[in-house]
Amino acid sequence: MAETNSTFDATDDRDSTSDGSAATRSELYKEWLDVAVLAPLRIAWNDWRTKTGSLIILFYVLMGTVGPYLVPAPTQGQGPQLAGPFQSMSYPLGTNKIGASLLSEIVYSTPPVLKMILAGAVFSTVVATIVGTVSGYKGGIIDSVLTTLSDIAMTIPGLPLIILLIAVFEPESPYLIGIFLVINSWAGLARSIRSQVLSIRDHSYVEVSRIMGASTPKIIVDDVLPNIMPYVLINFVNSARGVIFGSVALFYLGFLSGFSNNWGITLNEAFTNAAIYSLDGIYWLVFPMIAIVGLSFGLVLFAQGTEKLFNPRIRARHAEAVDDTAPYEE
Amino acid sequence: MYILKRLGQAFVTFVAVITVTFGLIRAMPGGPADYIRARVMRNRGSEGVSMSEINSLTEAYTNFDPSTPVYVQYFDYVTNILQGNLGQSVSFAGQSVNSLIIKAAPWTIFLLTIAILLTFAVGIVLGAVMAYREGSRFDTGSTVLSMFVNSVPYYVAALLLVYVFSIQLSIFPQSGNYAVGLEPGLTPIFIADVFYHAALPVASLVLTGFGGVAITMRGNSIQEIGEDYIRVAHLRGVPGRRIAVRYVGRNALLPMYTNLMISVGFMFGGSVILEQIFAYPGLGNYLLQGIHARDYPLMMGIFIVITAAVLICILIADLTYGLIDPRVSAGEGKEAY
Amino acid sequence: MQRKRTKTVDDPIFEVRDTTVSFDMERGESKVLNEVNIDVDRGEVLGVVGESGSGKSMFASALLDAVVDPGVLTGDITFHPESGEAIDLLNLSQEQVKQVRWEEISMVFQGAMSSFNPTMSIGDHFRETLAVHDYDVEEGMERAEELLADLYLESEQVLDSYPHELSGGMSQRALIALSLVLEPEVLVMDEPTAALDLLMQRSIIRLIRQIADERDLTIVFITHDLPLVANLADRIAVLYAFEFVEVGPAYEVLTEAKHPYTRALLNSTPNLETPREQMRPIEGAAPDPVSVPNGCSYHPRCPLADATCERDDPPLESDTPEDGHVAACHYVEKVPETVPLTLQEVKVNE
Repeated sequence: MAETNSTFDATDDRDSTSDGSAATRSELYKEWLDVAVLAPLRIAWNDWRTKTGSLIILFYVLMGTVGPYLVPAPTQGQGPQLAGPFQSMSYPLGTNKIGASLLSEIVYSTPPVLKMILAGAVFSTVVATIVGTVSGYKGGIIDSVLTTLSDIAMTIPGLPLIILLIAVFEPESPYLIGIFLVINSWAGLARSIRSQVLSIRDHSYVEVSRIMGASTPKIIVDDVLPNIMPYVLINFVNSARGVIFGSVALFYLGFLSGFSNNWGITLNEAFTNAAIYSLDGIYWLVFPMIAIVGLSFGLVLFAQGTEKLFNPRIRARHAEAVDDTAPYEE
Repeated sequence: MYILKRLGQAFVTFVAVITVTFGLIRAMPGGPADYIRARVMRNRGSEGVSMSEINSLTEAYTNFDPSTPVYVQYFDYVTNILQGNLGQSVSFAGQSVNSLIIKAAPWTIFLLTIAILLTFAVGIVLGAVMAYREGSRFDTGSTVLSMFVNSVPYYVAALLLVYVFSIQLSIFPQSGNYAVGLEPGLTPIFIADVFYHAALPVASLVLTGFGGVAITMRGNSIQEIGEDYIRVAHLRGVPGRRIAVRYVGRNALLPMYTNLMISVGFMFGGSVILEQIFAYPGLGNYLLQGIHARDYPLMMGIFIVITAAVLICILIADLTYGLIDPRVSAGEGKEAY
Repeated sequence: MQRKRTKTVDDPIFEVRDTTVSFDMERGESKVLNEVNIDVDRGEVLGVVGESGSGKSMFASALLDAVVDPGVLTGDITFHPESGEAIDLLNLSQEQVKQVRWEEISMVFQGAMSSFNPTMSIGDHFRETLAVHDYDVEEGMERAEELLADLYLESEQVLDSYPHELSGGMSQRALIALSLVLEPEVLVMDEPTAALDLLMQRSIIRLIRQIADERDLTIVFITHDLPLVANLADRIAVLYAFEFVEVGPAYEVLTEAKHPYTRALLNSTPNLETPREQMRPIEGAAPDPVSVPNGCSYHPRCPLADATCERDDPPLESDTPEDGHVAACHYVEKVPETVPLTLQEVKVNE
């Protein structure tokens, strides 16, 4: 609003950034990086949800990496059987039926879960980004084929398919399991990236690159990707949450062998033994639940905090706050 | 033209899913033929079982004869399924997969219908109220609550509910679809009992699902409230109540129609664990039993049926969206994903 | 009926006095309309011209007492209806507001497409408006069809359409018809042609003129496009930095602009006859509402500015001349030589 256009047509403000031919491509790129990645992250960080979410995620990452060095591995008889929580420092969260410390079980469950999340989220994000950008940018037959493929993948109900795949292939590597868990969740993301790319494709700066003879991969990497980065980030977080939900479910159902500890396994043990004990034993069930919900709550907070970047209205409101001009006119 | 295209696409998807299941059956270690042979031998001893008999038995179960070339097997398998023949169950002796599915499906559909309707009703009302009180303490509180329940897996809620309300407090039944010994029929007692048994499974889906709906509805509504035409409507003298319902509410709601249909798919998938926890005799429960018993025809059959259900829901959403939302002309069709 | 071309205001329909719109911002109070005074004559077309962020949309909202929260509107705006008593617009009850807005004073916004509810047919907008104002719907719809036909639209077809099915020009005309369906006396138009192409702009302007003449409408036409109102307005008021800096009969303002800003504005306007090198943008930036310059708000950009300008804010009506052409400048006499007009000729329709 308070920009320097003094002619009366308040036209494209981008003109002011590209005036003259002095601005080089790398400067433009830097600017885009700033506009597309850094500024949104800065905006996002100002949101309490993003902050809290990030801290929670960091906590779990520490639990999965440093945790096992600080906490002893769960074994039988770390304490008395079914000791309640907050009684002894050697089993702060209490023990289960065989006297293993719940804290140990929870901490030792974390590394494989993190590996699954990492593999699953990376896989689905990468596949989705490639499929989405290529199909959106190239259009034509490639687009039709990729879109139909995504449609098919999206229609198949995820969990039953995953259970079938796991039952058939019995994977043991956490990375492979992570990939199985997102076997069709990349499709939805690919579709939304595609529509983002479709709108970016027609921007003038992309057209310029095209006319200047840049290759398709170069245009996608230089011009298109920076614009969808924040979007990709959020979806990375969302597929991570999907991996947690899926993996714990599979562990609970007993489909994943080869792991001694998982929140889902703890849940299952606690639940199968629930009938025998009184309500006092609920801690056995609740602590693994807190572990599951905590991590996914962190991810949800993070995603919600960053999501507002895509709501044009909130974004505009923010831009106004940055410019410090009143919310009026045009 | 558009309808034909969508129908064609749905058909292709369906065949693709059948192909996946065929591939999975073939990829199973040993495959169904070995498994059936072992079963037959166990029953009758190793003598007197000819290879051709095994093959024909396998065909009866899985819809293809392992002695024929792969493409013939594939063709037989696909045509049989497209004709509605899902084969014979191995673990439920003497029962066809079709009959098992017909028995189980109504329970799953009953559970899911109630759960989805409640989830959306609660979420939509809450989201709309939150949007109208944007920034208030109520809004902040409800947003946090919605995000929290959105991060609880429905099976975690189910376990907690069962643990507290059935096992410990014995207020609700722990498992099953109706009390043992009750005569099924349209009697008030029976119907009441069915709802009584459905309470906890439905509650676990609704309690964990409404948050996501509320957040979406809130976002949509806030966006609508900021639109120019809302301001113009105020200036035109349209009463606030009418604007809230006919303008903001309706316009925020319409795009969620497709969400509703898609969540059907999600919940069908989720029914697997839910029905296991509650020992509820629906599709998901049979799917798990099939997997545990290595009953290939049963698990693939249920998988195919679930996919078909999801496919139909999405197809309906796609084809009817243009009718309920005038912004989309029928020709283009809003993408349902 | 041939309408009069007013020079001075002798039968005001609006009297705007010391009207201010302010927002409380974190860095201070932001006045987006600063104690403006202006009269609008009955039956005239008043062109209000200003660049983005000059407060012109706020002026439009103020005339309907429709400033959006958290904006605060103060001052006096008196509305004199054709018959009946004068109405103090800023002190109305809910019920009175309903009787004035759209029934007496109506408004057309820029972006007609976004002024319609996308899930309601155009016809339902008309019916709804008539119904909530307790008008006879059937009779009103006949009027609506006439209005649409006057605007060269296929009325039946348009009424059955949804907003997205209309082109920009069509929906803009439909919106004008909607704003007139309750037969108001005043129509406030905020950039009604901004989203349209040039040809469509001109034809809409012609239609507006026609409708104003036929229906004895008073029109306040708000725009950033000075040449556009040249063909429409009887008088022109120029807004700069949330204040009127020049008011006068359209022809005089366009040919003998008194304020250096107005002249700079005319010089910056693209025109086929002006050589490109003579077209120049106005140096500097439009002021920020929180920190409007002291003294004359235009002084940082004005070639004439001196110590007086930095100190004293020149009043608009020092002495109203015969022709009603006033400007808020300390050095009105010196302006023509310091800021010569590059534009040779302005075409005003006769």
